[in-house]
Amino acid sequence: MLMSNRTTQNPRFFQWTAAFLVGCVLTACDMLESHPYDTRVTGETHINAKNCARIEAALKGRTSFRFAFLTDTQRWYDATVDAVDDIRRRNDIDFVLHGGDQSDFGVTKEFLWMRDILNRLDVPYVCVIGNHDCLGTGKDVFRTVYGDTNFGFTAGDMRLVCLNTVALEYDYSEPIPDFDFLVKEQQRMRQDSLKRCVFLMHAAPKSDVFNNNVATVFQHYLYDFPGVQFCLHGHTHALSVTDIFGDGTLYYQCPNIDKRKYLVFTIHEEGYDYEVVEF
Amino acid sequence: MLAEAAGRDTVTVRTDTLPAKEQTPFMYRYDRRLERYQRRFNSLIPQTHVLQFYGDMGLVSVGIGWDYGKREQWETNFLIGVVPKYNSDKTRLSFTLKQNYTPWSFSLNEVVSLEPLSTGLYLNTIFGDKFWTHEPDRYPQGYYGFSTRVRIHIFAGQSVTFAIPREKRFFAKAVSAFYELSSCDLYIVSAFTNGYLKPKDYLRLSFGLRFKIL
Repeated sequence: MLMSNRTTQNPRFFQWTAAFLVGCVLTACDMLESHPYDTRVTGETHINAKNCARIEAALKGRTSFRFAFLTDTQRWYDATVDAVDDIRRRNDIDFVLHGGDQSDFGVTKEFLWMRDILNRLDVPYVCVIGNHDCLGTGKDVFRTVYGDTNFGFTAGDMRLVCLNTVALEYDYSEPIPDFDFLVKEQQRMRQDSLKRCVFLMHAAPKSDVFNNNVATVFQHYLYDFPGVQFCLHGHTHALSVTDIFGDGTLYYQCPNIDKRKYLVFTIHEEGYDYEVVEF
Repeated sequence: MLAEAAGRDTVTVRTDTLPAKEQTPFMYRYDRRLERYQRRFNSLIPQTHVLQFYGDMGLVSVGIGWDYGKREQWETNFLIGVVPKYNSDKTRLSFTLKQNYTPWSFSLNEVVSLEPLSTGLYLNTIFGDKFWTHEPDRYPQGYYGFSTRVRIHIFAGQSVTFAIPREKRFFAKAVSAFYELSSCDLYIVSAFTNGYLKPKDYLRLSFGLRFKIL
């Protein structure tokens, strides 16, 4: 009786108990889910548009900058955390590109877990859609969390054209790759007098999920862009640099994050350098 | 009446009091068969109704169940759940086949009893053309190697049961309130290789009511 009097008279006891109960309720709420594919998104949404604007504002007028490229992080949360921590430590990266496949199964929570890890970055990041991101209701979640699957932004004097190339997952319901979008991006570059560009996509032309009926047409469209620097992709989980069409356009592939590597590209006035970073 | 009958040397026999066997042996066999038939189908009448919230089988699920075993420690449920639209194109239905095992039940008094453990597994399938059991033909064989449609879950939970006195029964003879913690195959394989994922990431909470009708 004496004990209980003492504890109930202690205001801290109430505070701690209240905090504990609130914590329990919040945790319990996190654990309520109607289905793994329920598409219920809590937290930040439409990240690509916001981060594109952040990058454009931060790099306005610059002709040299540096970005990191990582991809295929599906179900490798620990490795992705390490990569993000490594990029944070460097402190010389202006923005980060993610090449798709953040989810393995298209399950809603996978996107949120990966988003929360990427949100630890101090710099803005953007993501393209991968084929795994399309499974089940994954496309809906990707659209909600990141936005349109084709988008572009201007980093300094360079246009970054981010493309959806996972045609196998769309079954002709949407044009993949979207040539109308490419034409618009080209017009945009002319309008803004931008002299160089980089393409980001999940799967490269001639890979299994690309619409290979139009692979050479796609390359023609890309070739028409002013100052194509290179293309970035993931998907086959290997480190590679390929001139896929023999026309001098290099396709750089970053391996999946479990190989504990990411690429860093340094853009300067005369061109670019790249390095493979092991973490 | 009988006296009159006796007087006329005739006996009226009330046939309706005789055993049916002697009168219509064929009907008797049929009745017996009918009774057996009805008894068998009666045993299929669900003994329980279940209302369950969350648990990756729908925001709300309703179902029927059968309990069996010496102490009714086994129960099988069929549940239909509603998965809200949220950010997708439509609301979806899901179907669950659930097997429960409740080894102990402790009566506190005539009304209240506690089940400290209820465990088992359930298979869930979600309806909609975005999900497949086998990968569609457009993929190379075994490209993804799992089904987006069918999930297998394991769970463990607890419940408290209130017996309703006979004169106060309206819908059920007993009501149990339960909660369960569950996880499904995709969450388990994700949690296995990633220390980053914490129990609140891969465990799911659900709760509900179980009405014992029969």
